[in-house]
Amino acid sequence: MKIGMFRMDQVLRIASALIVLGLVIELISLAWIHPLSFTLFAFIGVLLIGLGILIYLASLIFVTSPRGEHRA
Amino acid sequence: MGEDVSSDPSQKRVRDRGTVRLNSGSEMTGFLIALIVLTIVLATVLLVRPSITNAAAGKALAFVALCVLPAVCLRGGLTVHMQQSEQTKFCTSCHSMANYGKSLYIDDPSYLPAQHFQNHRVPADMACFSCHADYTIFGSFKDKLRGLHRIYVQYLGTPSETIELPGGYKNQQCLHCHLGARNFEANPIHMAIMDSLKSNEMSCISSGCHDMVHNHGDLDRLKMWSPGQ
Repeated sequence: MKIGMFRMDQVLRIASALIVLGLVIELISLAWIHPLSFTLFAFIGVLLIGLGILIYLASLIFVTSPRGEHRA
Repeated sequence: MGEDVSSDPSQKRVRDRGTVRLNSGSEMTGFLIALIVLTIVLATVLLVRPSITNAAAGKALAFVALCVLPAVCLRGGLTVHMQQSEQTKFCTSCHSMANYGKSLYIDDPSYLPAQHFQNHRVPADMACFSCHADYTIFGSFKDKLRGLHRIYVQYLGTPSETIELPGGYKNQQCLHCHLGARNFEANPIHMAIMDSLKSNEMSCISSGCHDMVHNHGDLDRLKMWSPGQ
């Protein structure tokens, strides 16, 4: 599995960055009542946050943790 | 202008329903914003120091900050956006809808939307949604899909000169509130044609009865009402 080549902290950083970016977009979209803000949230915010959650969940299964590396 | 409806309990119910929904909506928006800020702070901590997940408490924090809270924020965001999209200012923020919004201020009670809006027969903050929502199980979802298509046409395509409602205006939009109302059913004409109204065979707005609707082409020659005047 290719994702196994990444270290846990790298994956956590990517997931956190995507989620923070998605949440900032959600905050902006909530402050602006316009059809484009709904589109911004639905297409970009949801995508970034969803991707961040998926990457985090995938990391729990596939990514090598530093502790695991020490044991090996 | 228009008749006084302030003492009509059914109209008061409609107004109250809109007010309660808007109040709970703004409370929810406030709560959601606080939750988003909290999630951003926690996710930023993990972004800066991912090593804290080496400890069991750090792993639990990561699960909450990168899975549970973002999922709750997504769900909340969807709900708040759906509520915001029911607001009059949301609909009239599109250039092509601006004249329809202005037509709500026509100072003439024979104009149906203006009369409903100005007398709070529909919640003023949800005026468009009250008469144009698809009151079915998947109605809101279908409305959003159509809305996305309209945004595409507005910004990336060529908007048509005249805007038409898909499938035309259905009497159900009127009957949703008026059916069962005393002043509606006290009218012998309504009762005589009730079956035709329910089956949409005869339209409320285009059969010569209530045919003054938005008529936004007449805006230039009509007197406008300004709130508080």
